[in-house]
Amino acid sequence: MIQIENLSFGYSRKKLLYKNLSLTLGEGSIYGLLGKNGAGKSTLLKNVVGLLFPTEGTITINGYSPKKRLPSFLQTIYFIPEEVNVPGLTIHKYMNLFSPFYPGFNKEQFFNYLDQLDIKDQGKLNTLSFGQQKKFIIAFALACNTKILLLDEPTNGLDIPSKIRFRKLISSVLDKERMIIISTHQIRDLDNLIDRVVIVDKGELLLNASITEIAQKLCFKTVSSITDKTKILYTEESLKGLSVVMENTEDEDSKIDLEQLFNGITENPEKAKAIFQ
Amino acid sequence: MNNTFNLRRFGLLFKKTLLERPVQMFGFTALILAFIFIVYALAKTLIGFNASQNLAFIWGLIGGSFFLASFVFNYFASNAIGSSYLTLPASQLEKWLCGVLIAAVLYPIIFMTFYRLMDASFVYLFHKSLDPAGPFYKQQYQSVNIFSFNGIIAWKVYPMYLFAVAAMLVGSLYFNKVALIKVSLAICCLIIGSYLLNWGFAKMFFGPVNDATIFYNVTIPVGKEEGSIMLPEKISGFAFNIVSYVFPAILFVTSLIRFREKEF
Repeated sequence: MIQIENLSFGYSRKKLLYKNLSLTLGEGSIYGLLGKNGAGKSTLLKNVVGLLFPTEGTITINGYSPKKRLPSFLQTIYFIPEEVNVPGLTIHKYMNLFSPFYPGFNKEQFFNYLDQLDIKDQGKLNTLSFGQQKKFIIAFALACNTKILLLDEPTNGLDIPSKIRFRKLISSVLDKERMIIISTHQIRDLDNLIDRVVIVDKGELLLNASITEIAQKLCFKTVSSITDKTKILYTEESLKGLSVVMENTEDEDSKIDLEQLFNGITENPEKAKAIFQ
Repeated sequence: MNNTFNLRRFGLLFKKTLLERPVQMFGFTALILAFIFIVYALAKTLIGFNASQNLAFIWGLIGGSFFLASFVFNYFASNAIGSSYLTLPASQLEKWLCGVLIAAVLYPIIFMTFYRLMDASFVYLFHKSLDPAGPFYKQQYQSVNIFSFNGIIAWKVYPMYLFAVAAMLVGSLYFNKVALIKVSLAICCLIIGSYLLNWGFAKMFFGPVNDATIFYNVTIPVGKEEGSIMLPEKISGFAFNIVSYVFPAILFVTSLIRFREKEF
């Protein structure tokens, strides 16, 4: 479990990116960490993995303080940054050098994941394209079987078939003891993948809710005109009329549109807070 | 699980560090050794045998360790490599020790072995080239000897090598990019600054000054001659020990502390 309490962080002490952020994330879920460019998604992930240290407040992960970067903690967490860089080694050499650090590493799974992501053993890893390198690291990270997996913009650089394979793979590896956090601004890439949504903007937590909860509290539909503006969280003109995100007061079933949800929450944070209270 | 030091884990880390970038790690070392060979070979014909021995030893040990030290923590130039390195499940002490071991222990052993072989070969060839029947054979033979690792020059070089390695380790943890150039400039500024400060103090106390060597002596004009004012032996010894051993020790400890506090 990740417990963030009153986290304050800034790259300079005068200008804080996060101020008193509190958040609890549990196992058995795939979290979509959404935010605009520069909202602090990567910064939050880096604080969680111990690459950056909170200015104030605490982060506790299964009893560990990430900033200590203890090996027993690092064995349980894997962070894939937005940009990956692999050394000039073959797949086998990479595995032989890096996998012994992760007690949960499974060789069979690793090659299975590589196969699923369509990575062939074609000599040195640094000769692969950026997308291929990224898929290789994703396969390795998944095979390490760490309890927590943090992915920062994992779909950047992936082509459309690879994005589909990625989604399939991620959803297949989740179990009750695992937690996966995917940070992205390409919200559509997370469709049908995540089961909880976390939205941050301007250093503030705007939403931390499950897909079920969102579907219960919000309704996504297309209307020809708006009658009651007070229930509306977000509107967008479309070919068929007006796409709206509104408070679900009549218990309607609708398909969540993550992009519209994100726009609604970031444009009307106060209204969103009132709905999700 | 021991979170501070585990021999097996350290072994894995050491192996990973050496083999992760084999071309750079071993190629870099080979390049330094080749450069030193060229320096030695060229310098002995230009400035003489003894001077070339000193030159090659100073550059090989100090320069080589300095270059290699810039390389062992060279993980922070990119977000991907830096993140991967800091989140690798090994302790901070193990990661630091691995860098120190490569730059401050392993390289000097390789260099000194290479240097001894190279030096002995050149000296042997020189001795062999002499004519035993020549008039100055004995003097010429005795003028060139194998460089002593326990001599005055060597013992002046060792502290400088320690200082250079420690400074580079600290620097490469502060400067994520082009640490080699930045630390080199910082050391140059430190030496020039110390020299000017020393010169300024000497001028304040003694008037006109011809030269002022840090922690050693001040040269002043005496009529048409020059006089040298030496630092008293006790103070000189104390200053030498501070500069030679205490400063590098502080820098090595600083690099460990900095490594633990490194954010990326």
